[in-house]
Amino acid sequence: MDAMRILMDEHQSLAAIIHAIRHMIGEIDAGRLRPDHKLLEAMVHYLDAYPEKRHHPKEDAFLFGPLRARTHDADAALDRLEAEHAQADARIAVLEAAVKGYAQDPVGGFEAFKTAFNDYAAFYRNHMMTEEREVLPQIRKHFTAEDWARANAGFIADDPLGGTRASARAGEEDFAQIFSRLVAAAPAPIGLGAGPYKG
Amino acid sequence: MSGENAMNKQTQGSAASSNADAKNPVLEVKDLCVSYGKVEALTDASLTVGEGQIVTVIGPNGAGKTTMLSAIMGVLGSRGQVAFDGSVEGVPEVERMVARGMTLVPEKRELFGEMSVEDNLVLGAFQRYRMGKRDHAQTLEEVYALFPRLKERRSQAAGTMSGGERQMLAVGRALMAKPKLLMLDEPSLGLAPLIVREIFRIISELRRRGVSILLVEQNARAALQVADYAYVLETGQIAMQGPAHELADDPRVIEAYLGLGGKHQAMLST
Repeated sequence: MDAMRILMDEHQSLAAIIHAIRHMIGEIDAGRLRPDHKLLEAMVHYLDAYPEKRHHPKEDAFLFGPLRARTHDADAALDRLEAEHAQADARIAVLEAAVKGYAQDPVGGFEAFKTAFNDYAAFYRNHMMTEEREVLPQIRKHFTAEDWARANAGFIADDPLGGTRASARAGEEDFAQIFSRLVAAAPAPIGLGAGPYKG
Repeated sequence: MSGENAMNKQTQGSAASSNADAKNPVLEVKDLCVSYGKVEALTDASLTVGEGQIVTVIGPNGAGKTTMLSAIMGVLGSRGQVAFDGSVEGVPEVERMVARGMTLVPEKRELFGEMSVEDNLVLGAFQRYRMGKRDHAQTLEEVYALFPRLKERRSQAAGTMSGGERQMLAVGRALMAKPKLLMLDEPSLGLAPLIVREIFRIISELRRRGVSILLVEQNARAALQVADYAYVLETGQIAMQGPAHELADDPRVIEAYLGLGGKHQAMLST
């Protein structure tokens, strides 16, 4: 099922970016890594531009909405997820402000950025667990062939990492390319970059 | 093409290898067995890789996945039958398999650490050069286009590169041979999630370019997402097989190899 494949693929990409930020924060905190503010800002931008603006709307339109039409078994979880999707702008604004604040005040801004990031990562963990453990099994259980056909078509038509929409709509960000750049810039061992390691 | 016909007859009626979507099979393995002394590490394993397909073999550590690749390549002695690119191999021999267009990226990369990145890459084209094909300069640029990082580090000693870079170099070196079949042994092993995602993106890109790939992986979730067809190897035997997207939805595979949610949730944990 392409919708599930793409959804899980996107979850893993998001988790990988969050894992990378967490690693860098840990290394900075331990005094081993000099902060690369541009890279941190680019990764936070990725979290804004990709999951919040592209990934969640697909879930709402092609998975959660149709599931509500089939069953009420998942209503509580769906209410929670859709409310979280609706708060996307506010949630990412906190993280963006924190990463910018850290760039402007590299000494005093670190703890605030670390706290904002940890909150964001904890939110995402719970969010994904709700989706994957509570909602996706219900989708597998209740979706009809028509539901799957619509969901698959919707996800395939907008598969940024697979490049389908990036090539179809000029001017939009190419997320596969951005992801590759982040990998190239992130310091080893999490990425391919040399990294501003100290000593 | 008598070899190919012979192979087709032998795979008919075999329930063990039914990758029905495999058009123009590049690789057909039938009843492959490998023993280490009295211990049989691989028992009657059969699989097919079609042209332009990504076929994955997943399974736990010690299931026999690397043994299978080594036997197909001729690194290990085996019984059974391997048909590659239309001809049946009696007993595969490494040099002949390489000359015929099969390459293996081993789990440990096996790079020449003292040599530069570019020298390692050029070595990958050695067999083609020996056969009179002088297209390595063009192939090198194709590899650099796929792995810009390698071009940036072309003069650097391979041994000084990071784990992700070394994996890319190992794949790039294999591509220098312009393989008909690229076999990858645990390409994600020991790499951070960010790089694993990038490696699998590149594997997908290779399929778009027409490279046939046999991918052995413990990272079942990533492998099933990228593959067309999958085999599950357990204690030396093919336990399950099917289109990768079907296996990814199979409750037995989910329970044994994918779990609820998967490793990416653990990545999000503090």
